[in-house]
Amino acid sequence: MEISARQVQKFNTRKKIIDTAYRIFSEKGFSVPTSVIAKEAGVSHGSIFVHFPTLNNLLVCLLSDFGDKMGRSLHILAKKCDSLEDLLNEHLNVLEENEAFYTRLISEKNRLPDEAKSTFAFIQSTVAFHFSSVVEREIEKGTVKKLPVHMLFNTWLGLVHYYLLNREFFAGFNGPVIRKYRGELLSTYLNLIRKS
Amino acid sequence: MKTCIACGMPMESISDFAANDPSKDYCVHCARPDGEMQSFEEKKENLTKFIVKTQGFDERAAGKIAEDMMRKLPAWKNYFN
Ligand SMILES: [Zn+2]
Repeated sequence: MEISARQVQKFNTRKKIIDTAYRIFSEKGFSVPTSVIAKEAGVSHGSIFVHFPTLNNLLVCLLSDFGDKMGRSLHILAKKCDSLEDLLNEHLNVLEENEAFYTRLISEKNRLPDEAKSTFAFIQSTVAFHFSSVVEREIEKGTVKKLPVHMLFNTWLGLVHYYLLNREFFAGFNGPVIRKYRGELLSTYLNLIRKS
Repeated sequence: MKTCIACGMPMESISDFAANDPSKDYCVHCARPDGEMQSFEEKKENLTKFIVKTQGFDERAAGKIAEDMMRKLPAWKNYFN
């Protein structure tokens, strides 16, 4: 199939908008007007609306991309590994790569449009799905305490989110939190849930 | 790579597919024991239960997430018109 120059340009513009929105939202939060994103991306304000008629469309697109990334890397790992430690490490890898964006997401989630909110819920459900499959195998093997899966999951998420939401205290303003605390978060959590 | 039409899971290895059959469009988690795809009601109930079990959410909230999730999947398009 021939791809016309116009299609290439359309694709490039779309990508430029997505990349810029990701960066601006990460830096300034999700209430930045689309006109600012257009200006930063070097495209006309009108062309944002061609690609994303509403802010919600743009948000859902960014969230879906992030969710796909998370889903893919956890899926590959969860299938072949029996180690919760490896899975949590991978979870932290994806969060570290997207730390600013993810932190904005969890701190502003309740103010997002409904569809964006539910997209976020899918992402966490995917993480929970892989978490549960690996942790259940560890419980069966007797390496992890027999606690309800949802409490094991929520305790992990609660811990990580607490550090992210307070990143200015833990890592200094805008400093990366996960890189600094990965080892401590992981080893403490595993110590709490593992059978001695 | 194929993704399951009924839950969106990526299907890479044979064991991801229903009945180990890579010509199927749905995954092992969306199949009944006999290999057929689950119905809308079955899938919704299973997803809801799964969300409650893995995340501890209130059942109604979990049901809404399950439905929103299914809304985006090709297998259930006709249920949301
Ligand atoms: Zn499926």
